[in-house]
Amino acid sequence: MSNPATVGAIVAVTVVTGVIGARGVRVARTPADFLVAARRVPPFLNASAISGEYLSAASFLGIAGLAMLDGLGALWYAVGYAGGYLVLLATIAAPLRRFGTYTIPEFAEGRLESARLRRATMVMVLVICGFYLLPQLKGAGITLQAALGGPYWLGVVTLGAVVTVGIASGGMKGITVVQAFQFWLKLTAIAVPVLFLLLYFHHPAFGSLRGEAPPSFAAATTVKFPDAEQVDVQAPVTVQAYGVVGGVHRHGPLLLAAGSTNVGAGASLRFPAGSKAPTLTSAVLLSSSEWESPLVRINGVADHPLAATYGVVLATFLGALGLPHILVRFYTNPDGAAARKTTTVVLLFLACFYVFPAIFAALGRLDAPQLYATGQTDSVVLVLPRLVGTGALGAALAALTAGGAFAAFLSTSSGLLISMSGALSHDLMGRGVRAFRTSALASGLVATVCGLVVAGDSINVLVGWAFAIAASSLCPLLLLGIWWPALTWKGALAGLLLGGGVASLAVVATMLGAGKSGWPAVLLGEPAILGVPLAFLTMVGVSKLTRSSLPVNVTAKLLALHLPEAVRPT
Amino acid sequence: MTPAGPKGTTAQKAAPGTKGQMGPKAGRREVVRAPRRAARPVATSPVAGDLDKQDSYARSLIASLMRAQMGVTLSTLLPAAAIVLAYPLLAVLAPSLGTDHVLGVPLSLVILGGAIYPPIVLLGLWYVRRTERVEQRFVELFRDRD
Repeated sequence: MSNPATVGAIVAVTVVTGVIGARGVRVARTPADFLVAARRVPPFLNASAISGEYLSAASFLGIAGLAMLDGLGALWYAVGYAGGYLVLLATIAAPLRRFGTYTIPEFAEGRLESARLRRATMVMVLVICGFYLLPQLKGAGITLQAALGGPYWLGVVTLGAVVTVGIASGGMKGITVVQAFQFWLKLTAIAVPVLFLLLYFHHPAFGSLRGEAPPSFAAATTVKFPDAEQVDVQAPVTVQAYGVVGGVHRHGPLLLAAGSTNVGAGASLRFPAGSKAPTLTSAVLLSSSEWESPLVRINGVADHPLAATYGVVLATFLGALGLPHILVRFYTNPDGAAARKTTTVVLLFLACFYVFPAIFAALGRLDAPQLYATGQTDSVVLVLPRLVGTGALGAALAALTAGGAFAAFLSTSSGLLISMSGALSHDLMGRGVRAFRTSALASGLVATVCGLVVAGDSINVLVGWAFAIAASSLCPLLLLGIWWPALTWKGALAGLLLGGGVASLAVVATMLGAGKSGWPAVLLGEPAILGVPLAFLTMVGVSKLTRSSLPVNVTAKLLALHLPEAVRPT
Repeated sequence: MTPAGPKGTTAQKAAPGTKGQMGPKAGRREVVRAPRRAARPVATSPVAGDLDKQDSYARSLIASLMRAQMGVTLSTLLPAAAIVLAYPLLAVLAPSLGTDHVLGVPLSLVILGGAIYPPIVLLGLWYVRRTERVEQRFVELFRDRD
């Protein structure tokens, strides 16, 4: 299972990131220093850097995995991750840059004059970044698992340690060039294998996607089970079994009867060519027409699919407006017009990128159905390239995707950890490098521990939740703060706590197993449906009731937000 | 023309810098004074200083700019929302839309995996062109007045 090229690629990406990052230590002590140093970044480079920081484990691994598992409706996540930048462009890109504050808590305080609101915003930053960090760690866990065959925790702890130590020691700051490099690495790492896969498998234009579920093995395939599972086969099939199967230690041919079989941890089954792929008994089996539906399924179930789809659309299109680690980067634009240009280029880059996870999902269903049996669809992007031949080409492509995946975890999680430590150290522990370091160590440690317990959740669903919380809290604050003069700090605070609180509680409830089906599953699993309207209505309603707490100079604030640079003081 | 660089520097240095040296209690007192600091760069400009003195004029001016900008924003986002919200609805009303194939590729894969992006990107480009025209007109209006 172990692949030296893959390990080499992961180590290389980490070392290159660390080395380039460490060179920036002297100029980059706190986020403020880093931003002053990088204020005049041209739009193309800045857009590469934003895309580099943005494309996380969810984009690189999660979308393909979820779409392979739950059907093409999951591609709405990709559409929203990219489309959110259209909303960002048309609503907040230029005003936020013109206002001149570079973190969301600072915007909140600068616009509405309230230290209390600032602290509440800081708490939401921690919640959103924390949720966003978990799937990155899971991604690292399964990447090292796929590369080395080691345990899941190895990757989680490795990434957690690398990023935490890197940031706490002052290295690995979000240096623009590193992030930009990582975007192009990620794009290459996902695009090149797709081209080879399409050539190698030379599908008659996906025509074979039609047919009965579950998909069948094109060639004889060994399925290795890292964990003990209950596996279903539809028709009797003779496999080569190694390890504990059905409670007995096997080493040789075994006839699996139709129905459920217990497979022990570490066992492997070799299925002959043409046989139907086994599936997890606990997993929902999708027929081709179900899989091809463009509507979102929750846990594979199409309960109220229209509402679920709109929930994902709402969360992703609006959630992109409330991501602290991304908005920081807009300050590195020279002016409002450049901020718009940068956002447009980001939109274009993301639209190009998200074509590839979609192809991976379809190829995965065709060519790697064993992942259904082992519950590892999240690693489809890592597994497929290895199937291109058995020689150096397959190994090289696998190394490329693993390197790209690691770039995704590194860039996003360091951006997130910087935002978290910045927020924590600023408001809770006093400023300064020491407080920043302590905060980085604390947040990194907590996140790593939490990362160990999310192994069973889909990467993409986890990131979707971070977006839903952002859409229900920071997004309304920014939108109303920029476009509605009558917003008061009390209204903003009430909406932030209510919307963000309800969305966060819904996510926690879902993680704990509440809402298995029907409306509870939709409303708890897609919390933006409730959270977004709740936050907006509360902010507007409470602001109207608390007119006395309007900041005294709203007009000056609006001028600072919207006045073009040409008529500003030079 | 050096656009926002220097302005950004003052705003950014003033806000976090001064507060950092004081305790949390002093920090709160600072907040009361913050509006002045934020407004100062605006007040030093001949143009914007003018605005400061005539608050009602400034208010109507910024309101008209924001209205024009919001018009551009809505005419960008409403078509995008129509596309994004209509497709799932159509797929529910006419399930064949979800399961049809184009040259052997599922229609849903064609749309969600690629075809939905060009309209979104084009709307973005169109937005930038129009919003810059709005700002251009606003700036010319200002210059003519002086």
